[in-house]
Amino acid sequence: MLKTLCQKMSGRSLWVYHANSGGCNGCDIEVLNVLTPYYDVERFGIKLVGSPRHADVMLCQGPALRATAKALRRAYEAMPAPKLVFAIGSCACGGGIWFDSYPVIGPIEKLIPVDFYIPGCPPRPEAIVYGVAVALGLVDKKTAPAQFKQLELPVPRYHPKDLLGSGEMVVYEKAEKV
Amino acid sequence: MSLKSKLKETLLCLKAGRVTLPYPARGHPAPEGFRGRPVFNAAKCTGCAGCANNCPAREILVLDVCQEIRILKYLGRRCAYCGRCAEVCPERAITMSQEFETATDSIGDLQQRLELFMSTCQRCGRCFDPPSVLEELKLKGYRLDDLANERWVFGSKAYLTSEPAVDDIRIEWD
Amino acid sequence: MNLLQPLFGALANAGLVLLLAPLFQGALRKLTAIFQSRQGPPLLQPYFDLLKLLGKEDIESGESPVVQRFAAYLSLATVLTMAALVPMGFAAPLNGAGDAILLIYMLTLCGVSTLLAGLAAGSTYSLVGVSREMMTMIALEPLLAIAVFVGAIQAGSFRLERVLNGSVYAAGNFPWSAVVMLAVMLFSFQAFVQKVPFDISEAETELMEGPLMEYSGPKLALFKYAQMAKLMVYSGIFVALFAPWGSDLAFPINWLFFWAKVCVLVVLVTLIAATHARYRIDQALRYFAGLLAVAFAALILASYGH
Repeated sequence: MLKTLCQKMSGRSLWVYHANSGGCNGCDIEVLNVLTPYYDVERFGIKLVGSPRHADVMLCQGPALRATAKALRRAYEAMPAPKLVFAIGSCACGGGIWFDSYPVIGPIEKLIPVDFYIPGCPPRPEAIVYGVAVALGLVDKKTAPAQFKQLELPVPRYHPKDLLGSGEMVVYEKAEKV
Repeated sequence: MSLKSKLKETLLCLKAGRVTLPYPARGHPAPEGFRGRPVFNAAKCTGCAGCANNCPAREILVLDVCQEIRILKYLGRRCAYCGRCAEVCPERAITMSQEFETATDSIGDLQQRLELFMSTCQRCGRCFDPPSVLEELKLKGYRLDDLANERWVFGSKAYLTSEPAVDDIRIEWD
Repeated sequence: MNLLQPLFGALANAGLVLLLAPLFQGALRKLTAIFQSRQGPPLLQPYFDLLKLLGKEDIESGESPVVQRFAAYLSLATVLTMAALVPMGFAAPLNGAGDAILLIYMLTLCGVSTLLAGLAAGSTYSLVGVSREMMTMIALEPLLAIAVFVGAIQAGSFRLERVLNGSVYAAGNFPWSAVVMLAVMLFSFQAFVQKVPFDISEAETELMEGPLMEYSGPKLALFKYAQMAKLMVYSGIFVALFAPWGSDLAFPINWLFFWAKVCVLVVLVTLIAATHARYRIDQALRYFAGLLAVAFAALILASYGH
């Protein structure tokens, strides 16, 4: 009984540890903005703590670099369960513009499992607050994959090379998976 | 560290009341000119792949399935919202919308996939080449002399498109 | 019969402190937010924090897990014992169990538990935090001891019910030493409850939380609870020593008066904490050295009867 109460309470008070593994600090400043009186994320019960052992959520920014990979992994393992990881900014979500650069391993997912992505370069403080609200279940997420088709297969083709001797046309039916 | 300055600081903050934005409860729209998520308009896209060539994060992928079908896929993962794709697109098919509330728990939610029909010539089977800038200039008219009043007009007022591609530079023609 | 009543009183006092301490901490955080023009956390936030911490996994790491556990239990235990020794509106339940020197030792033991916590962790950051906490304790505990001694000198005995009863004022005479000690205690109260200008040992951004760095889950909950309860107990000691008026009225009124005085003190602490920046350790030590000199002067004055 106490256990269910504790689990319910863990949504009302998230303690956040901020880990920047090599980003440009743009997202750092936006996270700092979120803790100021104007956007005030403390009203959700979120507090910034200085040690990963006290934290529930790790806010990661910056791509995974070779130099800081070990440190990031150790900070993740130092957090006690149950834990969440938020990847903030395009660098943490997918590697950013620097994805093919020499020190960059890739997005943070290559090192630690990520629970929520907040893309943006840098994401607005409202976007970060929105991401936190989605994680807490206060609002629904607004994105979904989109697909447009101008044409459906099979496609008839009239190239003279493809026209068979009897004058029939060739029909394309294959489509490779992207 | 004087006491008077601390008291003044407290009074200032108390007078300001509460400045917190009630954000998720009430929406907060982005300012003018904000570059949010790019939105691809499949009706206008001709499949030139200019956006893919110009994306600094190599985020837009292009695959030619066969001669008639080209698949253009925008993955939202690494996009830095720079706006180069929108600036380069000759058909204005990409707009940087004002959406910034894009947080999700699965990164595949941000992708947009377009399957485009590339029209081919019935005789030779190759795709149509869109007219180059010079050809378009020649087709659309370069000289606008005033025939009615038999006046010679200097300079050209015919733009390639109706509004200029670059918004903040106003170029005044004659 | 004679044993049960103090026991129940002690349990009741301790239970009351446990129940109300997070509420005061929540009020402190909300007041800090109001002083900073923002909407702060809800008032019951520390209860949620403590419950959440109880549900987390308990990672035992560092040099000595046994000492880690011991330090966590020790801190909350000493604070609750002190709660039973301090009069909270009515006479303290465990009055006959000890005298003022026991109170001073209990307070020091509470500080020692933080030192043990940091030493048990053994990492560089926590050792630096421990050294700073040691320096602060060496400068601070004499101040409280001198306040109690001045009260004892004026009251003529070390017994708790005589000392913690506004004894400093020597039955209404308001001697100079009382005024000086009141000023000294007001200036150093922030450091006793480990709030902002003087929370050097657990400086978040400098030391990654200092001595408590390696604690997670339930043990951290114990430490945080002890810190919240310390605010209440120290306020109680301050009120009992320096502002005991109204404690001889009928039962509910003196209890309410006591809590009103504690509220005033908590608001004062919050106001100072919300508007100041943290001192460096050398600045803080110089500050305390000055206060210590003044306190010694008050002690000398008191022993000469002023």
